[in-house]
This record gives sequence, structure tokens and C-alpha cells, in this order.
Amino acid sequence: MNTDNANPVTIVMIEDDEGHARLIERNIRRAGVTNDIVPIASGNAAFDYLLGDDKTGAVSAKRALLILLDLNLPDMSGVDILQTIKTNPHLKRSPVVVLTTTDDEREIQRCYDLGANVYITKPVNYDSFANAIRQLGLFVAVMQVPVAD
Amino acid sequence: MPTRALGLTYVQSTILLIVAGAGMLVLLVAASFKLTSETTNRAEAIASERLVRIAARQTHMGLLRAESGQRGYLFTGEEAYLPPYYDGLEEARKGLADLVSRGVDPADTARIAKIMTIVEPKLAEMADTVALAKSGKREEALRVVATDRGLKYMAELRKELEEITTRADTVVGTGLYELAQSAHRLSITTVLGSGLLVSLAVLAFYIVANNTGKLVTAQESLRQMTNDLEERVNDRTLALTQANEEIQRFAYIVSHDLRAPLVNIMGFTSELEGASAQLVDYFKNENATADDRARAAELATSDIPESVGFIRSSSTKMDSLIGAILKLSREGRRELKRERVQLSDVMTASLASLQHQIDEAGVTVDMPDTLPSVVSDRLAIEQIVGNILDNAVKYLAPNRPGRITVSAEESGGRVKLRIADNGRGIEEADLKRIFELFRRAGRLDRPGEGIGLAHVRSLVRMMGGDVTVQSTPGEGTTFVVDLPKKMAIQSTKEQTA
Repeated sequence: MNTDNANPVTIVMIEDDEGHARLIERNIRRAGVTNDIVPIASGNAAFDYLLGDDKTGAVSAKRALLILLDLNLPDMSGVDILQTIKTNPHLKRSPVVVLTTTDDEREIQRCYDLGANVYITKPVNYDSFANAIRQLGLFVAVMQVPVAD
Repeated sequence: MPTRALGLTYVQSTILLIVAGAGMLVLLVAASFKLTSETTNRAEAIASERLVRIAARQTHMGLLRAESGQRGYLFTGEEAYLPPYYDGLEEARKGLADLVSRGVDPADTARIAKIMTIVEPKLAEMADTVALAKSGKREEALRVVATDRGLKYMAELRKELEEITTRADTVVGTGLYELAQSAHRLSITTVLGSGLLVSLAVLAFYIVANNTGKLVTAQESLRQMTNDLEERVNDRTLALTQANEEIQRFAYIVSHDLRAPLVNIMGFTSELEGASAQLVDYFKNENATADDRARAAELATSDIPESVGFIRSSSTKMDSLIGAILKLSREGRRELKRERVQLSDVMTASLASLQHQIDEAGVTVDMPDTLPSVVSDRLAIEQIVGNILDNAVKYLAPNRPGRITVSAEESGGRVKLRIADNGRGIEEADLKRIFELFRRAGRLDRPGEGIGLAHVRSLVRMMGGDVTVQSTPGEGTTFVVDLPKKMAIQSTKEQTA
């Protein structure tokens, strides 16, 4: 997708479980999405990548990012990352897809309140899981992602 | 507990006092009544004896007057002597009648009977002589007198009458003495009874006053207890609410963390199925191209081993999670043992077991020579201190030599143990998380499972204490373990989160 775009979309996958990361990647690929996927395994590593060394987020300027975010990280709550992304001037327009095992109503609401664009519960049933990810891949293929300021 | 006075309960002593008081009053009344009636009887007896005496005297006087009147008349023949004679007769008869009617004493009645036998001849002698004289036979009358018969009668009569008088006097004398005695007894009884009643009243007053004092104290302590109870209920409710929230978080974390590897196992199993189906297709396809062959090779050498690897690692992960949960659960159920624990000993032992890491990282440890002791579970305290010290040594700030400062303070039945480090610190947002199971904070550049502090908190709470943390990122962290000086015995059963 976006082959005509000078700055193709990078998918940032913040997921501590390596297996989940691999399954998500495989199923996105199966949907025909060829964009770069950056796997990140912890909250701190995510901040390093998104905010840069100066913690301002300036490093993400001019990047076109789609963020897949697991809420359940070992070193911090994904909600904190979501909040940081949605309040950072350089990152706030980047779409965030929350992808987690939690189906707690309040958590879902909270994520949408904080500015999550999509909230997907990882089903334990693999067919549903694979299906959900492939549909997400199709969705990623057609969506327009703004380039950060 | 019933209030007690003189070894008896209040009700018992009150009833006893009432019974004693009533008995005393009855006795007093009965004694007074008896003594009074005795006195009355005595007084009556004395009065009647006096009447007997008077009657005897009157009889005697009457007889004497009548006799002297008779003699006077007989010797002189003067009529003037007759009225005293008749008066005397009348007086004697009256006195005699009184004596007969009043003389009830057996000694008296015998004498009176004797008197009656003598008085009649005497009176007859007197009447005969007077009658003779009246009829002019004075000589003859004088001869009768000269026989001295009348004189003998009179002497006997006087003797009997005087005996009656003497006896009555004796009886009156002893009666008066006894009267005085019984009056004395009456007043003694009254005084004693009054004294006893007054002491009973004083005793009753003492018991009532004592009991009222105790009631007031009891009321006060009851109020205090009610307040304490309310406070304890509030504390318990808070603790239960806390425990409940903890259980919910625990359940959430456990279900979430157990579900994550399960998703992997299911996922990669399906991947394996897909891969094997593709391989089956490849082997069935007789017109396989080179591309098909390469794809099959990739499946067999890369995809399938990868899937198997993830299934294995996820299973291992799940096993270790279950193991950790079981360990915590076992710790939660372990019977705590109360014993005196010197915190300085525990601290020294924990530091010794970390000596290698401490030396390697060049950490200095500041610890006072003496730390308080607590009555608590030694193993639990060792694990608490061990985990906190282990973290302090593990998460040092990279830019300065490590320093661990231990201190403790004791107040109000609690001991606060402070373990401070100058390590890399914890972000404020993470201060709560670090105590949760399988959660870690900051850079994950050190090995760990996220169990230590969850374990610490569950142990501290089991012993009726609490653990808190203050931290400034980049400057250091202080853990405060607040333990009861003496662990309550029942606390083992209460916290089973």
C-alpha cells in the first residue's frame, strides 16, 4: 500500500509477548500488507523509539506511524503509553490500535476516552484471532495515515 | 463480669443486707416487745403486791383501832370510845375483804385462811364484851378481857399480817430490782439493735457507693470498648476491602497472564495445522514446481520449528506462572510461627547472602549497631528483607556508587523498618504496580519475574503490617516495612489473598 507515498507507513507493534508478535506479523502479512513492522517488546523501548533520546517526540516528526499497542506490558501499563502518544504534539494524530487480551468494559472505555482509534480484544480462539488480525491488515491497507508534524 | 463487694456479687450482698436488716428489725421489735411486756408484768405484780400490803396494813390498823376503842369503852364506860371501835371494825372488815380478794400468792392464801379463823373469834369476843358493857354488865365484860383471850388472838393476827406485809415488801423489793434490770436490758437491746442497724445502713451505703463507682467505671469502659470496637470494625472493613481489591487485581492479572501463553499455544497449533496441510498438498501434487518445493522446504525448516518453539516456550512460561502462583498461595497458607526476631540478625544474614553482589558493585551499607526486635515469623521477615535488599543491590544508578541505609524506629507497639537506597528510583506512576504480581517497572535490563515485591506485600500483610514505598526517579527509593511489635496470633488465618 501507499507505494506512491514518499513516506510509507511504518507499523509499530508494541507487544511484549514474542509469540503474539509473531502471530500478528504472520497474519498481517497474509492479508497482503508489506509495510515495515517494528516490533517493540517493552514500554520503555516503545518510549525510546517514539519519543527519541530527548523525550520530546521530535524524532517521530515526518514519520507516518500506525501503532499496535498491547496494554499488558511487564514494565508499565499500555494505558500510560496511549496517554503519552495522544498528548504528544508529534504523535497525537498517529492511529493507535489497542490489541490486548483484556475485555474489561472500563478498560475499553478508558482507552477510547484517551484517544485510542480501535480497540480489539485478542480472542483465545485462534481462528477468530487470525481473522481479526487479517481484517485489521485489510483495514491498514486502505487507511490513510497522516504524516506527523 | 459482675461487680463484687466483700467477695459477693452486688445482687447477693444487697439481698443479704436486706434480709439481715429485716431480721435484725424483727428481733429488735420482738425483744423490745418481750422486754416491755415483761416490765409491764413486773410493774403490775409489784402494784398488786403493794395493794396486798396496804390491805394487810389496813386490816391490822382497823383491828388495833377497834380493839383500843373496845378497851377504852370497857374501862371507862364512856360512849365516846364507841365510834372509833365501829370505825376500826369497818376498816378492818374492808381491809380483810381486800386482802381476801387480792391475796393470790399461795403463801398469802394460807395465812389469810388462818387469819380468817382467828379474826372471827376475835371480832366475836370484842362484840360480846361491848354488848355486855352496853347492857350494864361491865364487870363481866372486863372479866372476859382479863382472860387475855383477845390479846392472844390479836398477837397471832398481828404476826400473820406482819408476815404478809414483810413478804409483800420483799416481793416488791426484788420486783423493783428486776424492773430496773429489765429496763436496763431493754435499753441495751435498743442501743445494740440501733447500732447494728446503723452499721448495716453504713455497709449498705458503702456497697451502693462502691457499686455505683464500679458501674460508672464499667459504663466508661463499655463506652471505650464500643469505640474501640467501631474502630476495629472500620480497620477490618478497610483491610477486607483492600484484600478484596487485591484479590480482584490478582485474578485479573492471573487470568490475563495465563491467557497470553494460551493464545500462543492455540495460535501456533493452528499454524502447525496450516503448515502440515500445505505440506500434504505439496506431497500430493505431482506437478510441483521449484517454487512449491522452496515453499515446502521453508515450511519444514523454518515455520514449523518456529511454531513448535513458541508452543514449547509458551508451555514453559505457563508452567512457571502456575508455579509462581502456587508458591504465593502456599506462602499465604503457611502457618506463621511467633518467635522473637532480632531485626539486626536478620539484616546481617540477608546482607551476608548478598555479599558477593555488594562487593562486586561496590555498595556501602549503613546500618545502626542495634535494631529493635519483634515477635513475628522469622522466615517471613527474612524473605521480606531479602527481597527488598536484593532489589536495592540490583537496581543501582549507573552513575554513582551504591549506598544502602537501614534504620528503624519503634513507637506505639509498631516497628518501622526503613531500607533506603540511592539507586535509579521508580516513576511515580509505577509505585503501585511494583507490588502487583508479574509486574515490573523501569527498564527491564535486569533478570526478574515480577514476583518479589508481590510476595513481600502479601507476607507483610499476613503479619498484620504494611509496606510502603517512596521514590524519586534517579535519586533513590525507600521501602518502609511497618510491622506490629508483637504479631497477633490469629492473623495467620485472616489474610489469605
